[in-house]
Amino acid sequence: MNAHRVPPEEVSRVQRWFQAVITHPDGVQAGADSDAAKRLMHLPPGQLEKVITRSRALSAAERVAIYANAYHTRLLECLGEVYPMLKRTLGEEAFDGFAFGYLQEYPSRSYTLNELGRHFPRYLQETRPSPGPDESDSALADSAGEEPAFAQDWPDFFIDLARLEWAIYEVFDGPGVEGKPLLVAGQLLCISPHRWAQARLHPASCLQLLSARFPVNDYYTAMRRAKDDKPVPIPSLCESFVALTRRDYIVRRYNLSRIEFELLHAIKEGQTIGEAVERAAMTGNAEVEQLAADLKLWFRNWTAEGFFQSVEMRQ
Amino acid sequence: MITKRLGHPHLGLGLGLRTVHFDYILENQPNVDWFEVISENFMDSQGRPRYVLERIAERYPVVMHGVSLSIGSADPLNFEYLDKLKGLARDIKPLWISDHVCWTGVAGRNTHDLLPMPLTELSLKHVVERIRTVQDFLERPLVLENPSTYVGFTGSTLSEWEFIARMAEEVNCGLLLDVNNVYVSSVNHDFDPEEFIRSVPHERVVQFHLAGHTNRQTHLIDTHDNHVIDPVWKLYGLAHRLTGGVSTLLEWDARIPPFPVLHAEVLKAKQHMGEELADTRMAAANGEQATAAMGVSEGDLAVPHPLHHIAAEVL
Repeated sequence: MNAHRVPPEEVSRVQRWFQAVITHPDGVQAGADSDAAKRLMHLPPGQLEKVITRSRALSAAERVAIYANAYHTRLLECLGEVYPMLKRTLGEEAFDGFAFGYLQEYPSRSYTLNELGRHFPRYLQETRPSPGPDESDSALADSAGEEPAFAQDWPDFFIDLARLEWAIYEVFDGPGVEGKPLLVAGQLLCISPHRWAQARLHPASCLQLLSARFPVNDYYTAMRRAKDDKPVPIPSLCESFVALTRRDYIVRRYNLSRIEFELLHAIKEGQTIGEAVERAAMTGNAEVEQLAADLKLWFRNWTAEGFFQSVEMRQ
Repeated sequence: MITKRLGHPHLGLGLGLRTVHFDYILENQPNVDWFEVISENFMDSQGRPRYVLERIAERYPVVMHGVSLSIGSADPLNFEYLDKLKGLARDIKPLWISDHVCWTGVAGRNTHDLLPMPLTELSLKHVVERIRTVQDFLERPLVLENPSTYVGFTGSTLSEWEFIARMAEEVNCGLLLDVNNVYVSSVNHDFDPEEFIRSVPHERVVQFHLAGHTNRQTHLIDTHDNHVIDPVWKLYGLAHRLTGGVSTLLEWDARIPPFPVLHAEVLKAKQHMGEELADTRMAAANGEQATAAMGVSEGDLAVPHPLHHIAAEVL
């Protein structure tokens, strides 16, 4: 359907100008003086009142500033709600610094605020200080000020934590399995051992897997349990693996070993159990006997936690 | 001859559905006449928000209220958004669908604010054409609300009430008269709020909004974070008399108090309809006590129309 009519030039010009002014990172005057705004309306400095009326109590600039302040405040608040643990970890000022920079690079282009934080982990990655003495060009370095406040590998921790929080956010309101049948352990037990390797498991639509450089899931748990928002020490570098799923509309988190992660990852990619086990065994260097025992336990636990919806047997 | 309220029923006294009250409503099934829901919070939801909404829509009359239609924007209408809006309406069967006379962004961006229209003939023509397109697409008349505004444009040639009245007449849409917004804008733009209330086409008013705001001395901000003040109740009484009474809804979006406080607040409306009901006074008195206990006060963060962002529930 092409129902778009060309808007009156007056409407388009005023709106583009107003948006350029209220979203400028350096405030209303800088916004009005920006090239983007001047291309639309060339106002001499301090002449906003040629476009915006004043009220009895406020100048045009003061009135426009209400929108400019609200724009950033509202969206920073929203990002803080999507990344609550990252905000607590960094502190409000540092978090808002990153979020402010993010909004300049990735302004909202969606009708829904649910999309606002999608690219935040990517932004943190893109602006991560490169290891070494020259860290001046990145948002993460800037926030630390002259004296670096963060250990050199902490930016990776913040990025990992942001990735975990975004995954939680997606699982919470994304597709789920509530009201749908899930695979139960009994169905797996019915499969004869010689056909087991050919079975293909269909994971729950809400199952997400995450690998991280830091134990972010344990950190997240510790933060949730911390009384009065007491700070939790940032953990040392140590790779970790997490499964996220949702049951009864609540997000559930599970720590995984590397071999469990690889196994589930292969299953999610559509590999048969045989192929997935083979792949996982190669990465995990597991003893065959131990792996056989572990597999039994893992699949029992995973089915109990609703990781899978069904099993498909190829004829 | 126009059918009063566009033929919509008078639903009584309702409340804006907010996440913090989900559990209370599901558990207690409070005796509220109806709920208004923010369309964007549910149109993409496949998790708990949507589940809760469906339960509530089974029990209560529901109305959908949007914040991203951007009916005044110079950008093309977003048909992906409209399609989802229509889909949600198909599922939960709201009595009507409302949004605001505003624009939220341009050039592909969304500020997530309700930005003011220049009030000109060209602007009116632009809005009218777009409302027609949306109404055709949704196959129902829209109900549009007057937003709180903080700036006026020197190029404006119409008063806000003239703009709204002519708009509604031309497209045969309904009006959501936000009495608090009339009051806030009247202070911010130095006009007489009663003139506004008297001048809109009363037979087209389908719904009223009530809310609290923040007084910044030089201007008011529509923060939805407090009780409705007496001058707004007085305007409400006038609007009630002029329209003969329509569905009335209380919005409370920041520092949200317990549900009974909200309920008591909207029940105060009865006192301004000439019905001094004892049970209303009792409920209002209880509400005051609960408010005092939680220490609601004037806001530090005065963000216009705070957004209703749904935080994830995690174990």
